[in-house]
Amino acid sequence: MEKVLLKKDLNSWAGKLGSYDIYAPFKSGDVWGYELMENQAEITLDYPNTAIPPKKILFPQREVLFEFEATQEGGMEIREVLPDDTPKIIFGVRSCDARGLAKLGKISQGGIEDVYFTRRRNQTVIAGLACHNPPSPYCFCTSVGGSPHSLEGMDILMTDLGDAYYLESVTEEGVKLMGSAEGIVTDPDDKQKADKEKIHSDSEKKILLDISDMEKINEALSEIFDTGLWDRESLSCLRCGICTFSCPVCHCFDVNDEIIRTHPLKGKRVRTWDNCQFPDFTMHSSGHNPRSDKASRLRQRVMHKFRYFNENCEEFLCTGCGRCIEKCPVGIDIVEVLEKAKTYEK
Amino acid sequence: MKNEYIPKPARIISVKEEVDGQRAIKTFRTQFLEPDGFSYRCGQCAMLSVFGKGESMISISSAPHITDYLQFSVLKTGRVTTALHDLEKDDVIGIRGPYGNGFPVEDWKGKNLVFVGGGIGLAPLWSIVHTAIENKDEYGDVMLIYGARSSNDIVYKDELDGLKKKMTIHLSVDNEEPDWKEFVGFVPQNVMDKKPSPENAIAITCGPPVMIKFTIQSLNELGFNDDQIYTTVENKMKCGIGKCGRCNIGEHYVCKHGPVYSWEKLKTMPQEY
Amino acid sequence: MVTLEELKDNCRQILKEGKVKYIIGYKRKNGQYMTVPAFLDRIEEVDHLVWDPSCIYNLVRYLRDEKMRKEKEKEPDTRPVGVIVKGCDSRAVNILIQENYITRDDVYIIGVSCEKSGIVDEKKLTKKFAGKDIRKLDFAGNGKIQVTCGTKNSVVPAEEILADRCIECTIPTPIVFDVLFGEKTDREVPDPFKTIKELESFDTTRKWEFWKEEMDKCIRCYACRSVCPMCYCDECVADSISLAVKPDTTAEEKAHKIRWVEKSPVISENFNYHLIRAMHLAGRCVDCGECDRVCPVDIPLRYLNRKMEKESLDHFGYTAGMEPEKPTLVSCFREDDPEEFIL
Repeated sequence: MEKVLLKKDLNSWAGKLGSYDIYAPFKSGDVWGYELMENQAEITLDYPNTAIPPKKILFPQREVLFEFEATQEGGMEIREVLPDDTPKIIFGVRSCDARGLAKLGKISQGGIEDVYFTRRRNQTVIAGLACHNPPSPYCFCTSVGGSPHSLEGMDILMTDLGDAYYLESVTEEGVKLMGSAEGIVTDPDDKQKADKEKIHSDSEKKILLDISDMEKINEALSEIFDTGLWDRESLSCLRCGICTFSCPVCHCFDVNDEIIRTHPLKGKRVRTWDNCQFPDFTMHSSGHNPRSDKASRLRQRVMHKFRYFNENCEEFLCTGCGRCIEKCPVGIDIVEVLEKAKTYEK
Repeated sequence: MKNEYIPKPARIISVKEEVDGQRAIKTFRTQFLEPDGFSYRCGQCAMLSVFGKGESMISISSAPHITDYLQFSVLKTGRVTTALHDLEKDDVIGIRGPYGNGFPVEDWKGKNLVFVGGGIGLAPLWSIVHTAIENKDEYGDVMLIYGARSSNDIVYKDELDGLKKKMTIHLSVDNEEPDWKEFVGFVPQNVMDKKPSPENAIAITCGPPVMIKFTIQSLNELGFNDDQIYTTVENKMKCGIGKCGRCNIGEHYVCKHGPVYSWEKLKTMPQEY
Repeated sequence: MVTLEELKDNCRQILKEGKVKYIIGYKRKNGQYMTVPAFLDRIEEVDHLVWDPSCIYNLVRYLRDEKMRKEKEKEPDTRPVGVIVKGCDSRAVNILIQENYITRDDVYIIGVSCEKSGIVDEKKLTKKFAGKDIRKLDFAGNGKIQVTCGTKNSVVPAEEILADRCIECTIPTPIVFDVLFGEKTDREVPDPFKTIKELESFDTTRKWEFWKEEMDKCIRCYACRSVCPMCYCDECVADSISLAVKPDTTAEEKAHKIRWVEKSPVISENFNYHLIRAMHLAGRCVDCGECDRVCPVDIPLRYLNRKMEKESLDHFGYTAGMEPEKPTLVSCFREDDPEEFIL
């Protein structure tokens, strides 16, 4: 289904979606983030991209998995804590981030299913937004199989036509959601169709970074596991978590118990984001650490994205959003590392 | 939809102190509070919860044909295992699983099995050792070469004595001890001393990384091919289902694709374990 | 003014003489006007060395990596490491020496004076020059910075684009150095604690609301801790990402480590984390502002540390990193120390 929605009507459409929790980009200080919108009038899609990707809505940084409480009979009562089932809409998701959600879906739902992610994903509609201009000078979506208007992971793709949005449904969910806009949307005319196509094709050309020979990257990486490249490239790494916390597909987590009361015991099992760049991420209880230095941790991040995931799922675990490059406090650049990896001479 | 992160409460029905001191090992037998269809293969693991402390991945040391209890032998080494050691009979823990690939026992039918273990490394082998003895006619000769730092560090002492009638067992300790009559030296040296035959045989080794490394060298020297040698790997784990992202060796998640690997496979993988 | 060629010559010289293992400095980020940390171990690499207002990093932080590397090596190269320091950075070196983390012989200190200028705040810069193609930044002397956009140069008063910490800086020249480039300069700042005084004037409720909102943003990436040259502990009490476990650490020791702060990024735990860090930096923070700069969600972390600096100065007349031969603020006691705050 394809429709056109005047920009001034975006808020009235949102107003019809009362049964949904609506998430949209919101600026606080200088930083954009996805926030639960209490006031539809505040929804704006005029934004570059958020600091933290929308994965935080489907895979929150902190999540209670269950609660436990010792019973009087000496047993242990376990209460599963599932996410609430309010349907959600996320407005304005960029193509890279929507693809990120699709990849997260493959990880969470492949093999043994992650109930928490699946439940949230199943009740969430993604109304994404195509990019006119790359939100970041470090965007490289087109190098990793995406595009500024990719439909993967979207339910609806919106394209900004200036005074209106061009809406394309991608899934049944999208059709349903667009149905709710009946009366305020119109059918696109030929000019609008042509404008949209032009915006899409122009936007691809505006991506500044282009990594060549990506089809050879897996093989190139397989040959440089034990080389000095990683030492060299990780020298300035601070071992902070910015690159992975801001990544739309990084999904590693930790699980810990938080105690509410010790006698009788009551507490929660909590999952939080974790990070392959943190030193004790892989440390055994004995103190032995298979990835004990910065070099091996940078290698893991790059290898996981461009080799290991590729081996398992035949795609990259990277959507080219450029956040890890833009946000790295010491300028470590994954594209540069890949370029060096391709030409590294042992 | 099954929620894999929810452990099932199980009661500890017995605690046996195998080894005391700094490197204490205890064996726990557990029963689920509610009857459970928990079934597993030799060499698989389970995630044990001490509520309020966290979870730890432990190999199941009882054989699958035993249905009365699940057995775990635990070396006291960190937060969760120390908490486990503080527990007593009748206390409740959580169990989820089983996880991992387990040993390819079907492929080993009709073959001689040589088990080489060190210290707590006997625990992951224990289920398959028992399975092999229980189904004697399905396998060839079964031999166990097992060693520990000292006689105090040997696990399953009582059982080992009983099993000597059913299989060949060669024990060792690292250093001389007054009443020790068996081999003195490291496990790989004992392997060279006992010279198990590689013919129609599979060797399965588990123990500290250094021991595994030299045991494989010994086995190779005795004529075992890399595809005749199996070992188990351990890495830090949080989920057990290939999602939390920390136990991987290259593209392999130890919790899901492992922990059992043939040496032929493992030696091609990055050394991140 | 610092002459870059002189600085480079010195670096080439010490590398050539084998006086230093390598030099930690600044180089241009690929095709951009900003810099990244550079680790120069070959003479020809010195060509890439940069000194301009984009040299935002406090490179002293990397002395920790060097120390860890050295501890791992069997036969470590014990030559000093060359490090380029600004005024604030040099005080960080002093503290590391004062606290016996490193010795003076571990470092060859190449001082550069910021004189009446300093380093830029990239956000202020890109806001001021929005839509322009910034190519290059240069010190223009007399508290001015030259910004090259395309082919056009504009000279602006440094204050307009300087990082907040530089605006309030009174010590722009390195305190300790083996060689110094640029002039030793006094910098008159009407009120070095202006920002924090504003915050101090808030009433308790407003302060609480302010910090609650800021703490709610924290994602606990630990970038602030990881970038701090003073945060060199093997194990940080405030976070659980770096446990120092040695082969002889007993199970009990590991099991009974107290988790002062849960991993959950909730307001209470975030407060705990940041306040513990601020307390541990009291009398140690040199206001290099790196924590503030690296925060991906713009928490004004500098305020916390600046407050502790002000307390140190007001109560004890102590400025961190000025006199390495004297004991640190929190490791000494004087009979005339104020104690009216002791309950």
